Amino acid sequence: MTTSQDPSQTKDRPRASEVDPKLLEILVCPVTRGTLEYDREAGELISRSAGLAYPIREGVPIMLPEEARELSD
Amino acid sequence: MTDATHDIPTNASAAGPHGEGPPQLFDRVLLKQRKNRAAGEFDDYNFLHARAAEDLIDRVSAVTRDFDTCLVLGGGGAVGRALKKRPDVAGKFGHVIEADLAQGLARTSTFKGLVLDEERLPIAEESVDIVLSCLSLHWTNDLVGALIQLNRALRPDGFFAGALLGGSTLTELRQSMMAAESELAGGVSARVSPFADTIDMAGLMARAGFAMPVSDVDRVTARYGNSFVLMRDLRKMGETSVLKTRPREPVTKRFFVRTAEIYSEKFAHEDGKIPATFEILHAAGWAPHPDQPKPKRPGSATVRLADALGVDERNAGQKAGD
Repeated sequence: MTTSQDPSQTKDRPRASEVDPKLLEILVCPVTRGTLEYDREAGELISRSAGLAYPIREGVPIMLPEEARELSD
Repeated sequence: MTDATHDIPTNASAAGPHGEGPPQLFDRVLLKQRKNRAAGEFDDYNFLHARAAEDLIDRVSAVTRDFDTCLVLGGGGAVGRALKKRPDVAGKFGHVIEADLAQGLARTSTFKGLVLDEERLPIAEESVDIVLSCLSLHWTNDLVGALIQLNRALRPDGFFAGALLGGSTLTELRQSMMAAESELAGGVSARVSPFADTIDMAGLMARAGFAMPVSDVDRVTARYGNSFVLMRDLRKMGETSVLKTRPREPVTKRFFVRTAEIYSEKFAHEDGKIPATFEILHAAGWAPHPDQPKPKRPGSATVRLADALGVDERNAGQKAGD
């Protein structure tokens, strides 16, 4: 049953780490208010100015600094 | 965010994380945990949120224009669900984003889900057309600051409508707890969160730069079997106190028993049920735009008020009927 679809996923909700384009348009980094890069592969929104990567879980961006990953480089 | 009945200590431990900004009354991390814990059963206990959401939507229905991007704050999905029942209002919106501090609540949203902290709003300037805030802003440490951030996120002539719990909320519980604590411990501490005073809201909106601010109050009395049931419901709503300066030592069972006794003695109805007051403050306003009506400068009138009303003008010192 590895290919079964999650029944909780509704049709209009993007799957996995897909983020709605409208959200990408209006979101900024909550720490620096700088722009964000969308890393589709990693499912993250990256703020270079803050050195943080905000996770996207089930299509929901988690814009909280305390839940973001610190960029190593 | 003060309540005349409580002096909230603003000591060093209650200051901001870097000793700057307004005092931190509320523990937002704890609030997030409480909301996430409440998320599972929230639908069964969200009558206040559902009521506030329906009132917010009524308010929007009275506005004769459309809004492309709608940002919803809080409500645990109540606004989205209320919108589904009101296609006339949902049709005014191009996009709806439902945001919450707790992921557990944001993932249940009917529309596009988002997790954010209203104190650090991750929304670009002038990027949304309407903000609806459903019982979330009473937990902000700096209410005016949060309103200013929302104002900036709105496009010019964008609309804000918010509902938050006001100062009379849980007044019976507050009084009963204070009486019980005073009796058992010989002193009192703040166990119920302070809320914004009714009279302040339109003023706070104006201070945050909103044009044509208005506010009104919706008082709701819920009835419970006893204060234990009330407090369980508050937990299930994720609305129990997250005061930073709340007492750390666990309270005794005796305290809660005595609180329940006092609550019943002082407030119970004839059938033994106890009332709990919830005061929902509604506030609305517009992001400034040059075309909005503005009050004229004093003395700039070209027509006498008395002529417009078709009456004789009287000096202030004259009594009517003289």
